Amino acid sequence: MLKILKGSQRQEQGGYFEKMFRLRHQVFIQGMGWPLPSTNGKEIDQYDVDDAIYLLDLADDDVIQGSVRLIPSQYCSLVADFFPHLIENGVSPRDPLVFECTRYMFLPLKGRRQDNHIARARLLSGMVEWCLLNHLSFVQCVVDTIAFPGFVEMVPQTIPLGLPHPYGGGRTAPGGGECIAFRWPATREVVASIRKYGGMNVDRELVFADELSRQSLELTH
Amino acid sequence: MPFESDEYSKRALDFVERLQRLKTYDEICKHILKELAQFGFNYLTSFSIPQAGQSFKDCMWFNNRPQDYIERYSSQNYVLKDPVVTELRKNLNPYSWSDVRRTRELKKSEVNIIDEAREWGSRDGMMLQIVTNSGLVSCFCPCGLGPDLSPRARTALEVIAIYSHHALRRALVQNQRDDVVHIPLTPREREIMQWVAVGKTDDEIGEILLIASTTVTQHVENAKRKLDALRRTYAVVQAIRFGEISL
Repeated sequence: MLKILKGSQRQEQGGYFEKMFRLRHQVFIQGMGWPLPSTNGKEIDQYDVDDAIYLLDLADDDVIQGSVRLIPSQYCSLVADFFPHLIENGVSPRDPLVFECTRYMFLPLKGRRQDNHIARARLLSGMVEWCLLNHLSFVQCVVDTIAFPGFVEMVPQTIPLGLPHPYGGGRTAPGGGECIAFRWPATREVVASIRKYGGMNVDRELVFADELSRQSLELTH
Repeated sequence: MPFESDEYSKRALDFVERLQRLKTYDEICKHILKELAQFGFNYLTSFSIPQAGQSFKDCMWFNNRPQDYIERYSSQNYVLKDPVVTELRKNLNPYSWSDVRRTRELKKSEVNIIDEAREWGSRDGMMLQIVTNSGLVSCFCPCGLGPDLSPRARTALEVIAIYSHHALRRALVQNQRDDVVHIPLTPREREIMQWVAVGKTDDEIGEILLIASTTVTQHVENAKRKLDALRRTYAVVQAIRFGEISL
């Protein structure tokens, strides 16, 4: 099941936030070794603002099996703050109609590969649906170039914003690599592509429309 | 560098935009080759590393190297010795043929394989690997007489490779879906494959059908050929898949 939370709900939905921040610590700091600030085993940064949107993919027992954070690029943008050089096609990284997808994590289940495809697709198609229902034009993201083909495989409409550039000393340095920025249009076609990838019903109405429209009312651009 | 530094990103991004509008396999190939030619690459081989049960032929998305070169390469079984290929085992990053020459101490026989390609119009090339979400590894390998291998050209090629690979694969899979054809089995071959599927030997089948076991073998061989299978186990799988037999 997909759950949508807004940053401003951090008090009332404390349980979910607590779990998610701990999981982010496990995945990004312990697992991937990213140099991020952390307190008491929780990873929280300057982009965890009130207007941030969190999508959590919950298993039956409320265990988080994947999550993603969407931030309004207009005033919260990793691309603008740290990776402006990744944009080579002249678009502005800050745009009221563009949200940025960050802290995407997905905990692979032991089991069939297809189940993992479905779980991944559920989270990401939900993310694009949310953007679509909120009349956004794009969702933008920075990823390691190694992971990039996976996003193109899922969404053929993926728009690269520039060429890959090295980070942390480039590919030959330990912990370094190359990264690339891209956008997904917030369209039904993109939702359909992700659903198709996950083997989900492509023609089904937007799955999370009720929950999402309720949330969307609270969003002010 | 034949292009200004900015030109590389512009080229690659334009390439992607135009590629996304194309539908048919032929259009896509033409577009990719035209772009690669701008970087000095005349040839392209694009394939996935075959999984168990897949033949190399099924995993080839595109190949326009000269036919006699392909034949020579496969008859000499170069794929096992070619240092540009064996490098794939230890290097996930993009690399060129000349990088392999520079960074590895090669045997003369290995150098010869790279040198030989010159006679067929390729002095250097790039090897770009693409790992899919299912964990399949694919290779996008353009080559030519004097390709542009500057750092910016390489990053541009990376983007070109990722999009080209997925576009080719999608178009080809669609084509295959549109025309899944197989040569139908004869009633006798079908009958015999049915017995093979339940584990009977050729001798046993011969006794059941009152024919010589060599005749049975011949029928099985014919069925294997029609089902594009090297071994009878796979022939049984294919026969079930095509609905020729059932269990």
